Amino acid sequence: MTDLKERAVPIDTTGDPAPPRFVLPGWITSTVKHAALILFALVMLYPVIWMVVSSLRPNNEIFRSPGLVLDSLQVSNYSTGWNALAEPFGHYMLNSALVVLGCIVGNLVSCSMAAYAFARLEFSGKKWWFAIMLMTIMLPIHVLIVPQYIIFSNLGWVNTFLPLIVPKLLATDAFFVFLMVQFIRGLPRELDEAARIDGAGHPRIFLQVILPLMLPALATTTIFTFIWTWNDFFSQLIYLTDPQMYTVPVALRSFVDATVATSWGSMFAMSVVSLLPIFLAFLVGQRYLIKGIATTGIK
Amino acid sequence: MSALGELQRLGTSKGGPPRKRDNKAAFLFLLPWFAGLLLITAGPIVASLALSFTDYNLIQPPEFNGLDNINRMFSDERLHRSLGVTFIYVFVSVPLQLIAALGLAILLDRGLRGLAFYRSAFYLPSLLGSSVAIAVLWRQIFGAEGLLNQILGIFGIAGKGWISDPDTALSTLIVLNVWTFGAPMVIFLAGLRQIPVMYYEAASVDGASRWTQFRKITVPLLSPIIFFNLVLQIIHAFQSFTQAFVVSGGTGGPSDSTLFYTLYLYERGFSRFDMGYASALAWLLLIIIAGFTAINFWAAKRWVFYDD
Amino acid sequence: MSNGISRRNVLSIAAGVGAASALAACGGSGGDAAAAVNTETPVTLRFTWWGSDARHKRTAQVIELFKSKYPNFTINGEFKDWNGYWDSLATTVAANDAPDIIQMDEMYLASYAERGALLDLGTASNHLKTADIESTALDTGKVDGKQYAIPTGLTAYSFVVNEDLIKQYNVTLPDTETWSWEDLRAVGDQISKASGGKVIGVQSWGFDTGSVNVWLRQQGASLYSPDGKVAAPPALLAGYWQYLLDLAKAGVSPQPSITIERAAAALDQSGMATNTTAIGTAWNTQLTSYQAASGQNLRLIKIPGESKVGTPGAYYKPSMYWSISSRSKHPAEAAVFVDFLLNSQEAGDVLLTDRGVPGNKTIRAALAPKLTATDKAAADYLDAIKVGPAPRVTPNGASGIEAILKRHSEEVLFERKTPQAAAESFIKELQTEIDAA
Repeated sequence: MTDLKERAVPIDTTGDPAPPRFVLPGWITSTVKHAALILFALVMLYPVIWMVVSSLRPNNEIFRSPGLVLDSLQVSNYSTGWNALAEPFGHYMLNSALVVLGCIVGNLVSCSMAAYAFARLEFSGKKWWFAIMLMTIMLPIHVLIVPQYIIFSNLGWVNTFLPLIVPKLLATDAFFVFLMVQFIRGLPRELDEAARIDGAGHPRIFLQVILPLMLPALATTTIFTFIWTWNDFFSQLIYLTDPQMYTVPVALRSFVDATVATSWGSMFAMSVVSLLPIFLAFLVGQRYLIKGIATTGIK
Repeated sequence: MSALGELQRLGTSKGGPPRKRDNKAAFLFLLPWFAGLLLITAGPIVASLALSFTDYNLIQPPEFNGLDNINRMFSDERLHRSLGVTFIYVFVSVPLQLIAALGLAILLDRGLRGLAFYRSAFYLPSLLGSSVAIAVLWRQIFGAEGLLNQILGIFGIAGKGWISDPDTALSTLIVLNVWTFGAPMVIFLAGLRQIPVMYYEAASVDGASRWTQFRKITVPLLSPIIFFNLVLQIIHAFQSFTQAFVVSGGTGGPSDSTLFYTLYLYERGFSRFDMGYASALAWLLLIIIAGFTAINFWAAKRWVFYDD
Repeated sequence: MSNGISRRNVLSIAAGVGAASALAACGGSGGDAAAAVNTETPVTLRFTWWGSDARHKRTAQVIELFKSKYPNFTINGEFKDWNGYWDSLATTVAANDAPDIIQMDEMYLASYAERGALLDLGTASNHLKTADIESTALDTGKVDGKQYAIPTGLTAYSFVVNEDLIKQYNVTLPDTETWSWEDLRAVGDQISKASGGKVIGVQSWGFDTGSVNVWLRQQGASLYSPDGKVAAPPALLAGYWQYLLDLAKAGVSPQPSITIERAAAALDQSGMATNTTAIGTAWNTQLTSYQAASGQNLRLIKIPGESKVGTPGAYYKPSMYWSISSRSKHPAEAAVFVDFLLNSQEAGDVLLTDRGVPGNKTIRAALAPKLTATDKAAADYLDAIKVGPAPRVTPNGASGIEAILKRHSEEVLFERKTPQAAAESFIKELQTEIDAA
C-alpha cells in the first residue's frame, strides 16, 4: 500500500481550508449543470446531426434547404450509397476492419513492450533512442511516402494490407509508445520492486504487474488506433490501388467530384454508416477507461 | 540535448543509487521497435534528408543542388507566411484545446449521472474531424448560410462567409481543432483513473476545497499525462494538414490565410513536383518541432512529477 | 555500448541510401508499342481515372465490354477522387510503378510528358487509330509535336442562365448572341435589385483558367506564348480583375466571402445549383449536373463580347485525355484498349458525354439521339459557338496555375492588392514556376 507521505509529490491539503459559503440545494445545481452540458453537447453535435438529417434528404435538397427540418424521408440514400461503388459498401468496411484489427494488435503488443523498456529499464543510450523515437513522428508523411513506397514496392507489398499493418507491429507509432511510457511512469515503482524481490524477471513483471495496471492506457491505445486507422486516408490511398482492396475512407472519397454533381445523399449516408463502428468502439472502449487502479485498488 | 537529461532522472530519482543497467532485457523489449526503425522508418527519413539537397521532380532522378533549397527559403514569402499562420495556429489552438479537454475530463470523470452519454457526445465530433464530409459540415456552421449567421441574423447582424474571409478563416480552423478535443480528453480521463480515490477522500476529510484538491492532487498526479498531451498536441498542431486541406479545398486559402506549413510543403511536393524543396521544408519543420519538444522536456523538470 | 549505436546508425543510413538510389534508378523503359498485340497469354493492365461514383459505374461497364472481346486481358480499374488521384499518380510514377493507362488532365499533361513519364502515342499508331478524331482536338494532346495524349472529349467555356429566376423577377435578358460584358453587368444589376438581394445577378468567376483564357483571347492576347512563357499583358489581366471587382462592389455579384466560399465548394453548392444566382459560368458539359442540382430551367448562353471581337475568346478544351505510361510493360495492349475507349461505338454508347462530348466525329454523330435534353444542349452548344485555335497546353511547371489564379482573385476581391499589382504578381509567380521546372 502506497502511503501518501511517501509519494514524490508532497500533498499538502491543509493549506487553504474551504471557506464557509452559501450552498444551493443539490437538485438546482445538478439541473443547471445538466442543462448547460446538454446545450453544449447540442452545439457540439450540430454538424453531426446535420449530416444525419442530410443523409435522409433527396440529393438536390441537401444544399437548398437550410436547417434540420426534414420534409420527407429519403431512406433510399442508404441503399443507393451501399451499392454505388464497384463493391457493396460492406466490402470496404470489412477491409477497413481487417486493417484496424491488425493495427490494434500491432500497437498493443509492440508499443507496450517498447514503452516498458523506456519507462522501467536502464540501458545504454536510452535518452538518445528516446529522442530518435520522437523524431520519427516529426516529419510529415508527404516527404516520406515516396521512399516508403519504394521499400514496400520492392517487397511486393503494394496492394496488400501489409504496408499498413506491419509498421504497427514494429512499434513505429511513437505516439502510443510515449503515451504508455507516461502511464507506466505513473505507476508506483514499489510494485515492481516487490515483484522483483519475489524473484520475478522482466517478462513476468511486464505481463503480470504492469500490463494489468495500465488497462486505461491500453484501452486508449485501442480506441485511438481503431479510430485513426479507420479514418486514415493518405497511406491507404497510396498503398491500396485495386478497388477490391479499398477501405472506407478511400471509398468515401470516390463519391465526391467537385466538378460534377456528387451523390451527397449517398455520401452522407455512407459516412453515417461508417461512423457507427468507430462510435461503437468508443462506447465499448470507454468502459475500460473507467477500470483503472482507482477502482481496482493497489495490490 | 540537456532537455533529454530529464529522462535520466528515471534512474536517479529520489536520490537513490542508479539502477543497474539491463541492456539485454531492454534490447529484447525494444526488438520490434529496433526492427521497425531499421527496416521501415530510418530509410525514408535518411532519404528525405538526402533529397533536401537535390532538385527532385518525382519523375526524373534527383539532381544534387547543394544548398540551393536552403537559400531559397530565405526569400520564399509564402514560406514565411505559412510559418506565421502555423505559429498562430499552434499557440492559440493547443492551449484552448487542452483546457477544454482537461476541463471536461474532470467534469466527466465521476459523480455525474449520464456520464457515458456526455463523454460520447463530446467525443463524437473527433470521429468526424478528418473525414471528407467535414468541409461541408463546417460550412453549415461558418458558411454564408450557416448556423452562426442564422443566429446573428436573429439579432439583426449581417453575416458573411466566415471560412472564406481571410480575416476570419484561420479562426474557424482553430475552432475546428478545439471542437475535436475528444482525443486529449480521453487521454486525460484515462490518466485520472490512475489517481487513487483515497487521496481525494483524505483531502475531503481535511476540509480541502475542490480547487485545492485540483491544484494539490489532480495537477501533480496528472502532470505526466498533461505533459504528454502538451508535447504531442504541439507536434500534431505543427503538422496539422487534413482539416485545413479539406476545408480550404487544398489551397490554404482564402489568400493564404490558412496556409499551414504542411499544406505549403504538400503543394510544393505534389502539385508543383518540387519534392527536393519539400523535403528541405520538412527538415526545417523537424528542427522547429524538435526545438519546441526539447524546450518542453526542459521545462518539464519544473512541473512534471513522476512516481519513480 | 556507443559502438552499438554507431553500428545501427550505419545500418539505417545504408537503408536510406538504398531507398534514395532506388529513386535514381527509375529511368527503366517499357515494352515496344509497335509490337503485335498478345491475344494468347494473359495480359494484365492497370487503368486509372478520377471521378465520381457515376463515372466509376460507366467505366466498369466499358471494361466488361472490352474483356468480352479480348478474353486474355485483365483490366484493373483503379478509381480515385481528384486530389487523391494526383497524389497517387505522382507517387507511383516516382516509384516506377505507374498504371498502364492514365486519365490525364490538361494542367498536368506537359508536366508528365516533358519529363518522360508518358508514351508517345505516335509509336503505337498501328493499334491506336486517330483518323476519326477532329484534328483540332488531337492538337490539344501534343507536347513538343508529339502526341502524348488523346482527348476523351471536348468542352467549351460558357455562361448559364436560370430561366425561371429571370422570369420570376421580370427581367429580360439581352440578345445573348451579341451581348457585351456591359450588358451582363446591367442585367445582373437588374436581377440583384429586383430580388432585393435574395438572388444575386451574377456568380463571380476568376478561379478557373477558362475565364482568363477567354478574356485574354477576346482581346487578341493569350495566357502563354507558343514556347510556353507567360504572355498575358499585365494591363489586360488588370482589366479582368477590375471587372470582377466592379461587379462585386456594385452588388452584381455576391460579396467576396460568399463568392469565394462557393468557388471552393463543390458544384452542388454553387449559386447556380442552389438557385441563389441567376447567371454564372460553367463548362458546357456541366449543364446536366447544374440542372439536376438546381431543379429549375437552366440554359447555356454564349460568352459576352464574342460578337464584338475579331478573335473569338471561345475554344474547345479537352475535358480530359487518355495517355499511356512510358514504362508500361504492355504498351501495344494498352494502346488497343485506348483505341477501344476512343473509337468503338459500344464504348461510346456507355460513356456518352461523361468525359466530355466525344472528339470522335462518328461516335458523336451516333450519340445525339441517345442523349438527355441537357446533354444534347451541351453537345449542340459546341456546334453553335465560333471558336479559335485552342490555347497552348499548360506548360511544364504551371500545373499550379488555378491555385495561383484563385489566390490573386481573392486578394483583388478583398482589396488586398489592386488589379494592377495582382496582374504583375500573378505573371511573375507563374513565370517563376515555369522557369523552375
